[in-house]
Amino acid sequence: MNSEFIFDLLHKAVKEGEKIGADFIEARYDDLQLSSMNYTNEILKESSSRRRKGMGVMAYFEGTPGYSFTPEMNLEGIKEATQRAVKLALSTNPRNRMKLDFERRPAIKDKVFPKVKKHPKDYEIKDKLDLLKRGIAAIKESADVNTTIGLYGELFGDKYFANSEGSEIYWTPIVVDIRMSAVIISDGKQATAGDGMGQSEGLEFFDKERWMPETVGANTGKWTKEFLDAVPAPTGKQKVLVSPTVGGVVVHESFGHLSEADFVVTGNSPIADRLGEQLGSEHVTIIDEGITPYGGWFYPYDDQGTKTSRTVLVEEGILKGYLHNRGTASKINAQPTGNSTAVNFMYNPICRMKNTYFEKGDLTFDEAVEQVGNGIYAVNWQGGQVQMSGDFLFNCSRGYLIENGEITKPIKNTALSGNILELLKHVQGVTKNIQLRGNYFGGCGKGGQFGLPVGTGGPEVIMDQVLVGGTK
Amino acid sequence: MSLEDLRGKLLNVADSAIKYTRDLNAPSAEVYVISQSLTTVSDENGMIESRDGIVQGAGIRVAVGKQLGFASCTGFEDDAIKSAIEQAHKVARRSPENPMFPGFTPDVKPAKEGILDPEILNLDAELLLKEFGVISEGVDRTDQRIVSFSMGLGCSWQGYAIATTEGCLASSLLTTYNGNASTVVMGEGDRKSAFDFKARREIIGLEGIGKNVVDKALKGLGAKPFEGTEVLPTIWGPREVGGFIIDALRVRILGSAYVEQSNPWKDSLGQEVTSKDLTLIDEGQKSEYSATQAIDAEGTPKSSTTLIDKGILKNFLFNRMFAHAAGKETTGNCQRSGGIFGGGVPFENSPNIGPNKILVNNVTKTLDEQIAELDRGILITGQPIGLFASSNPITGDFSVNSNESFLIEKGEISHPLKAVSIAGNYIDSLMNTMFIGSDREMTYWPVDSPSITFPKHTITS
Repeated sequence: MNSEFIFDLLHKAVKEGEKIGADFIEARYDDLQLSSMNYTNEILKESSSRRRKGMGVMAYFEGTPGYSFTPEMNLEGIKEATQRAVKLALSTNPRNRMKLDFERRPAIKDKVFPKVKKHPKDYEIKDKLDLLKRGIAAIKESADVNTTIGLYGELFGDKYFANSEGSEIYWTPIVVDIRMSAVIISDGKQATAGDGMGQSEGLEFFDKERWMPETVGANTGKWTKEFLDAVPAPTGKQKVLVSPTVGGVVVHESFGHLSEADFVVTGNSPIADRLGEQLGSEHVTIIDEGITPYGGWFYPYDDQGTKTSRTVLVEEGILKGYLHNRGTASKINAQPTGNSTAVNFMYNPICRMKNTYFEKGDLTFDEAVEQVGNGIYAVNWQGGQVQMSGDFLFNCSRGYLIENGEITKPIKNTALSGNILELLKHVQGVTKNIQLRGNYFGGCGKGGQFGLPVGTGGPEVIMDQVLVGGTK
Repeated sequence: MSLEDLRGKLLNVADSAIKYTRDLNAPSAEVYVISQSLTTVSDENGMIESRDGIVQGAGIRVAVGKQLGFASCTGFEDDAIKSAIEQAHKVARRSPENPMFPGFTPDVKPAKEGILDPEILNLDAELLLKEFGVISEGVDRTDQRIVSFSMGLGCSWQGYAIATTEGCLASSLLTTYNGNASTVVMGEGDRKSAFDFKARREIIGLEGIGKNVVDKALKGLGAKPFEGTEVLPTIWGPREVGGFIIDALRVRILGSAYVEQSNPWKDSLGQEVTSKDLTLIDEGQKSEYSATQAIDAEGTPKSSTTLIDKGILKNFLFNRMFAHAAGKETTGNCQRSGGIFGGGVPFENSPNIGPNKILVNNVTKTLDEQIAELDRGILITGQPIGLFASSNPITGDFSVNSNESFLIEKGEISHPLKAVSIAGNYIDSLMNTMFIGSDREMTYWPVDSPSITFPKHTITS
């Protein structure tokens, strides 16, 4: 199917929806290709390729939405989905006590492509498997391990959008990702560690020295071996220097979700109605951005056709904004921020994050470690939970003691917990290093929509008063 | 369309796809097709959202000897399915051999289907919306302490079929109906939330869910801090203990972990691994559970598997591949969704292993009787944060935070507690249960268990 044909179908959906009573229609078509490989103990345990294509229609009537979708890309399928969406909007409208209508705006016509040098579609499976093999060889060179796991993932494709304003938007998402991990069992002790990340780039990402399979594999082996001698972390509230990875997940999961404006307008978020309030220390500036200077997830338009922007959520500790769709923005007289996203065409767009991170500060890494004095350096995490109160708990899967201003011993898995709204008051410094990742593996979950690619990361952040749980 | 019409359509699509695999010279193949018609409505503190549609697609595996390839596509259009077959074939040809692969499922006799409610086919968003009145019955909307009150309802009717070049052509159907309510309340300096969820295979009454969550959240207001650190008994209610058990056993029950030597119980078959009072059965054939199906996700008839019998480890959960590698029979636990909780889009995942519904046997004491037995202890009434996150699946050490717990003093509930940390070891806990209740109920966890009292967990403020 060519672009002209697809936009023609989308416009027909818009016209059909308006004809049968909707105030406003958004129609979108996704055609995404997702592929992954799991190379465990040098056996290709799984190699899969998934084509995810279909169309979704959002109909609005007096600010009440109704959403339907179809995998059938033909006029009949689209008409049926449109009729169902309009029926949902009309029939649920009388009971809707919070109608989120929005102002009309001029049509947007745009095509956006990320810069990609080595597009994964131009490479064979064996080329990608070779990346994993190179990484696994590096693990084995650096340590005597019992289990090796190499994961490769890629996502690319096309996204089309049209609406009642006459907008026509086309863009091409992409992410590639490699993760390596290893397990060593020795003398009754078990250690595991891993390295790797994804980025909205082509395979050229793995040509960069830091993310070459050889580097990722060597780090995995070295860190796994190191953790055989891990010591229990001291428990209790203490200073923690969080890495870009750990700081990124903390700010995404425990603060970012609170700032999603659907939670704000419904009163579910504890930061609702608190714009202008000093929530954190002067070191805290939190950004959510569609296309960043630091890489991460390339996200030029959301699923309501809003161009993504740089949204300042917190500036020097003061709450400045929320993450909006068109309706929530209108509700509280704000501007849409391009945060209306669906995980795939089978779901309606809801308020989600883009690339969410602490803005960088002025410390070097060494200065940050010295400033902590005695505490924990939390480098990686595996598993975590948050609640709408701002309470969070993350499992620090790789961390070190900081003793007298120096990083010393590795620590065993330990829980890091607290309440983000309390913790922001205790941010004592931020480094000038910043690193964002786009994720194929993992992704964000909300409202039954799991595995949404988002960008996470940031600089290293010094947080005081983090509860370190210990292993027992 | 009726449920049996859906079955016929799925079998037809799967069978046709197998014919395409022959036309496309794929030597051996398996086709999994699924269609799920769903409707959901939600009321987030007054903001109504609704969604409906048909999730439909195919997951195709092609084998060239022991080289395997997987591809999936959305929809049942011929071109999409043919393209997925070609892609799976291409992946297989370029993949190394998987020595564990036993071949696809041959001709099978499906097991029993669970309850199917044809009335669910007649539901739409408008009818579901009317049930919000039932869910919220008895909730005092004028109570200023209620910051938000939300509800959700969903229903679906679905089926899947498996066809293989080895002769399997089988299907299974499912109807689902679920409702939930959640609230946030504030008062006495506290902010508390509560959530309840009911899911069944047939339309059920949802009276009382809303009032229950509001009452539960309000009871948590006025919480007092727990001072210091103590080792105390903890009682986990029937809605909370399922999470505790599945987190404890999420690696230990898997045949894949047994084969890959990462299962801490790999050498424990026939040995005592829990208290003698515990029996755990993975149930794939009791008609009321949503995991009950005629076949699993690769065509094996579903069954019941005793995992632990009076404390003795009897078996692990297997699909065909890992059973073959272990020299055992498949237990019919192949699933096509992400992780221990399922979820995800089934046709997009190649087969893995997951529990059906693990049932823990009821014993004797009610929750109140367990409370009455304790001089001092903690009652946990909501899912703590940290389950599945801050536990070590190998050693069993865990540390979680509970924002919904009560102090028990002299056999009675004394007062709600501010957040406490609860730490211990899962395996020690299951080996040394203090009391097991008689109050098992159907929950959203993969494990349904009666309430359990564990004798020693470390509680910290």
